[in-house]
Amino acid sequence: MNGLRQVLAIAKREQKRMMARGIYTFCIILAPIVAFLFFTTLMGEGLPADLPAGVVDEDNTATTREVIRNLDSFQQTNIIEHYPDVAAARKAMQQGKIYAFYYIPKGTTQLAISGKQPTVSFYTAASYLIPASLEYRDMKMMSEYASGAVGRATLYAKGYTESQAMAVLQPIKMEMHAVNNPSLNYSIYLCNTILPGIIMLLIMQVAIYSIYVEMKEETAKEWLGMADNDIVKALIGKLLPQMVIWALMALFCLFLLYGVWRFPLNSGIWPMILNMFLLINSSLALGVFFCGLVPSLRWALSLATLWGVLSFPISGFSFPHMAFPDTLKGLAWLFPLRHYFLIYVDQALNGLPLYYSWLNIAIMLAFWGLPIMLLGRLKKFLLEYHYTH
Amino acid sequence: MKWLRNTIEVWAYEMKCALLDEGVVVFFIIVPLLYPLLYAYLYSHESVREVPTVVVDNSHSTTSREFVRRVDASPDVEIISHCEDMEEAKRMIHSRDAYCLIYIPKDFEKDIAQMRQTTVELYSDMSGLLYYKAVLSSCTEVSLDMNKEIKAKLIPGATEQQIATFQYPIEYKYVSMFNTQSGFASFLIPAVLMMIIQQTMVLGVGMMAGEEREKVRKHIVEPHIIRKNPSEILLGKSTVIFTIYVMVAVYLVCIVPPLFGLIHIWRWQTLLAFMVPFIAACVFFSISLSSIAHDRESFIIMFVFLSIPLLFASGISWPASNIPIFWKGFSWLFPSTFGINGYVRITEMGASLADVQYELNALWIQTIVYLGISYLVYKRTYGKQLWA
Repeated sequence: MNGLRQVLAIAKREQKRMMARGIYTFCIILAPIVAFLFFTTLMGEGLPADLPAGVVDEDNTATTREVIRNLDSFQQTNIIEHYPDVAAARKAMQQGKIYAFYYIPKGTTQLAISGKQPTVSFYTAASYLIPASLEYRDMKMMSEYASGAVGRATLYAKGYTESQAMAVLQPIKMEMHAVNNPSLNYSIYLCNTILPGIIMLLIMQVAIYSIYVEMKEETAKEWLGMADNDIVKALIGKLLPQMVIWALMALFCLFLLYGVWRFPLNSGIWPMILNMFLLINSSLALGVFFCGLVPSLRWALSLATLWGVLSFPISGFSFPHMAFPDTLKGLAWLFPLRHYFLIYVDQALNGLPLYYSWLNIAIMLAFWGLPIMLLGRLKKFLLEYHYTH
Repeated sequence: MKWLRNTIEVWAYEMKCALLDEGVVVFFIIVPLLYPLLYAYLYSHESVREVPTVVVDNSHSTTSREFVRRVDASPDVEIISHCEDMEEAKRMIHSRDAYCLIYIPKDFEKDIAQMRQTTVELYSDMSGLLYYKAVLSSCTEVSLDMNKEIKAKLIPGATEQQIATFQYPIEYKYVSMFNTQSGFASFLIPAVLMMIIQQTMVLGVGMMAGEEREKVRKHIVEPHIIRKNPSEILLGKSTVIFTIYVMVAVYLVCIVPPLFGLIHIWRWQTLLAFMVPFIAACVFFSISLSSIAHDRESFIIMFVFLSIPLLFASGISWPASNIPIFWKGFSWLFPSTFGINGYVRITEMGASLADVQYELNALWIQTIVYLGISYLVYKRTYGKQLWA
């Protein structure tokens, strides 16, 4: 019972320290909330609509104008300007005004009518990968459609029914099912991992700061003294208030993702609450681990920064893990965010039974044990080392 | 010429401080040196190849086998297994052995023979958008080829050209410009490079300012700032950062991209004229921000996480045309927004200086505004106390 009292006393002391310094309020409450709102409202549309595109219509007939009108009415494409030639359209691309343009050369209509197979083309600025690929999709669909319209007209003239005509024009058709994210919503695809990633990064940094600021301000002896120099009790007391606030922030994050924005939650909320709980504690544990590794506030922070920022690409939510070079594939296991992402995919996105995620859950739990081997070192650092400039 | 001597004195002292401070060296030199290598290496395969895919072929016909064989032969998809039914296929996807599923209906061949349109269904796990792209584009390509051949049989005696015209009365061609392979590294690394310049500078400068403030609290006064004008101190310090970052930038834009085979088609005059205001804007932005650095380390916690939102606010990923106006205004505060867009267009898209005029103007405006703020900050910090 005495131990519990000590832990609570340290927690109370920590709570006072946190409230006295703006940096805690900023990093635990303000920064995550702003980041959450930033990402969810930035990509609120889900799929960006009406992306600026251009047209070079050298033919300029009723038919080509019709094609362009149709293209403009597609959801992702917004024709903002007609350019006299390809060079002008290319220039507009280099100036960042458009992401793609559609080119119809002179004589296209005439050639099509006389069955001489003209060629139209479209160009995308693939340096801007997302808008380029979305406009590519629209322009390709438009081209297929335009070609198909001419073909169908020919077949109807020969007395084919619609279904016969389609069977002749396109005997094999593809039907794509994007399982659990049918609208290809980018926000679902990115926010589900970026937001927890930001929480993770800040948890590690704040934990390290709160531990080594005691060394810097030479209060470490006082802090450890309150726990009779028992590093475990001292750490639990210190990290407890942080954990509680982070848990609340994580719940807010889940509420935003699955309550407000209604992202797929096929597992129910409990597995995701578990996932967040695992992530919070793994991040705290990693923070303590880095402190035990290097006896310096700024070096431990630098390590956490490296680890935290690297977590985003290496978790594989945007560029998939299977395409990494082999040497880095194994490294991904050492990042809690990678496991969070995989648990999220199994649970919220695909709604699988929890046991599919057992391995990732086990590894997250293993992270909790990581600091244990360095606790003795950390205690020594805190009691014997001094902050150096 | 006293001011010049004073400025040089500040410069020399600050340069020594920066290079001897291991914390600052980490951000000014080590991170910009190593981080891009790690990042570029991670994305070095540019795109995803051979996505493991399972097939449920209920047709069991020559045509369906041909379809599957050709999809398997395409570079982006690898057929890892033929499943008996959908349940088995789903199990393989759930255990992450495969990411996509191709379902061929029972009447596949019969439909084609009897001139009925037949539908192949594709399913993709949506944990990654690139799986979806890979399986859809590979299967579509194969189906277009096979459609052409089927049609050839429907019009006996037709020439190749007649079939082509019949298939595509209007032919179309697609050109992916600049980033011709739509590669992931070519898309993201240039933006990351510019972000590294800004963020490491903010952290390093913040650390130096925090250190100084800690010393002031302990009543330690740096000898080199006694009897100097705030403007001399500002000029001396900003030149130190500028000098270091010119070297960092040369490494980032001249060495890293060719090392990883990224596109770099710039003319050096254009790039130089763009990078100078970008680095200058970053320098004064960092100094202005550093006025809130209370101690050495708090800055790291407050600004590292911002790198991720700022990358998105630049419009390199989620398109700038669709960023809500409020966040757009927010993004204009940071040099990285303009730096990333200008840099990408100059180096990857061959834009001239006139093409990036908007970004260039914005960076010069930022330079001037942040220079003004930096001066005010320095005047407040060094104005009165150090003339004693």
